[in-house]
Amino acid sequence: MIDVMERRADEAALADEPPKIDIRGLDFFYGKTRALTGVDLAVPANAVTAIIGPSGCGKSTLLRTINRIYELYPDQRAAGAVTIDGRNILDSRHPLSALRRSVGMVFQKPTPFATTIRKNVAFALSYYERLPRRDLAERIEDALRQAALWDEVKDKLDTSALSLSGGQQQRLCIARTLAVRPEIILLDEPTSALDPISTAKVEELINELRQRFTIVIVTHNMQQAARVSQRTAFFHLGELVEAGPTSQIFTNPRVERTQDYITGRFG
Amino acid sequence: MPLRRKLADFVAFLFAGAATLFGLTWLVWILWTTVKQGAGALSLALFTQMTPPPGSSGGLLNAFYGSAVMVLLALAIGTPVGIAAGTYLAEHGRHSRLAATVSFINDILLSAPSIVIGLFVYELVVRPAGHFSGFAGALALAIILLPIVVRTTDEALRLVPNQMREAAFALGLPAWRVTSRIIYKAALSGIVTGVLLGLARIAGETAPLLFTALNNQFWSANIAQPLANVPVVIFQYAMSPYDEWHSLAWAGAFVLTIFVLGLNLVVRFFARRGSK
Repeated sequence: MIDVMERRADEAALADEPPKIDIRGLDFFYGKTRALTGVDLAVPANAVTAIIGPSGCGKSTLLRTINRIYELYPDQRAAGAVTIDGRNILDSRHPLSALRRSVGMVFQKPTPFATTIRKNVAFALSYYERLPRRDLAERIEDALRQAALWDEVKDKLDTSALSLSGGQQQRLCIARTLAVRPEIILLDEPTSALDPISTAKVEELINELRQRFTIVIVTHNMQQAARVSQRTAFFHLGELVEAGPTSQIFTNPRVERTQDYITGRFG
Repeated sequence: MPLRRKLADFVAFLFAGAATLFGLTWLVWILWTTVKQGAGALSLALFTQMTPPPGSSGGLLNAFYGSAVMVLLALAIGTPVGIAAGTYLAEHGRHSRLAATVSFINDILLSAPSIVIGLFVYELVVRPAGHFSGFAGALALAIILLPIVVRTTDEALRLVPNQMREAAFALGLPAWRVTSRIIYKAALSGIVTGVLLGLARIAGETAPLLFTALNNQFWSANIAQPLANVPVVIFQYAMSPYDEWHSLAWAGAFVLTIFVLGLNLVVRFFARRGSK
């Protein structure tokens, strides 16, 4: 009971701090189809914010605007403001490379590159920083340790990343992202392709990482949202229905649609 | 009803089997004849001596050399251009009208008769220069190779899942680095397969060489001069009335067939490695 009280106090405190990511009036379009409408959401620093909602509600779309990865597709367009540390990153003058370096992303399906484990982690790192061999090796070890993968791969760094299990591959993708020292990590259903044991490992990892990073996780799994996040935002039909401390969203939602969704009446 | 089905099944099987047999017969016949006639004509002299004048013995060294030089030169010209164009189609121009146009024209080039390409290079290089040359031959082969490499590179790159691109771009890397370090690596076996298939195709091309490299009875390493090559030597020697020339033509055909067969085996190996 004390645990729950403490958790609530912690979660409530988050709302008072200035947000790391401040989303204002965000609209998103796939061609002529509108996928997000007027989203306002504040994402606190050093916490996990979970985005939940039924399929097609715009969860992933929201995530994909935060690092502007949607720009790979010419028919996708975002309007509004996504402010990180006081700067609107949707502004086309905002440097894309710097943005994506500080905002890492891990996808639903593990996406190891077709090369060795070492090179997977070193790849982006050696693009951003010219490091002497020893420092590079240290940074690689460091990233793999942070991703709780080091002990499993330390003896086979030069074997193909494709030989790892799905769960290991996903943690490698996290390590690869951590190696360039981002501030924000976007997780797009990171465990939906994993078995329960791997899922537990990744969740544990998320819990450790939140001390140092701002994490936004999209998940289909409401238990997962409840387990790993401090704040939860519920989306439905491209609109943000309700956002707040996770314990409040799951125990005492203010909007009926949220209540219906978390109790499984639709979705 | 079951009887009708069985009958239909039997008839379909009969037709399919007969069609397969029909196709295989020719292939086996060609291979068998080539092996029978060619293997007997194999000798060390084949690889050490020049093409002989009528009535004396010799080998095909100058033709092998000339073919190798022209095919390698064609690879050197066609491969980089083809890979670059294929990369444009699959990666950078994916949503553009220009890429769609280029892709369409490439398909036309892909099915252009090789003799037309030979004529084109004849007008472009041979006539202005006033003489046949190995370089013109290599150029004609490169133009035949090019659309094959473009198409297979394009297809191999499109097979790389978009998630891979997104993951690489999400690290903030510029497009050229994503393509050169990540996407090429993932599509490597497909691209190599395409180049090797193209190589197998141009190794046996005869028509375009008749207009460009022609032939040379003597040893010549000069690509600005007419250059001997296996397909044209086979063509000329097989048409001749001399027995020595006939057996050399068979030997050349045998070596060429083995080479192309070997290339196809290598291609299978690469393709299998890629699908793992």
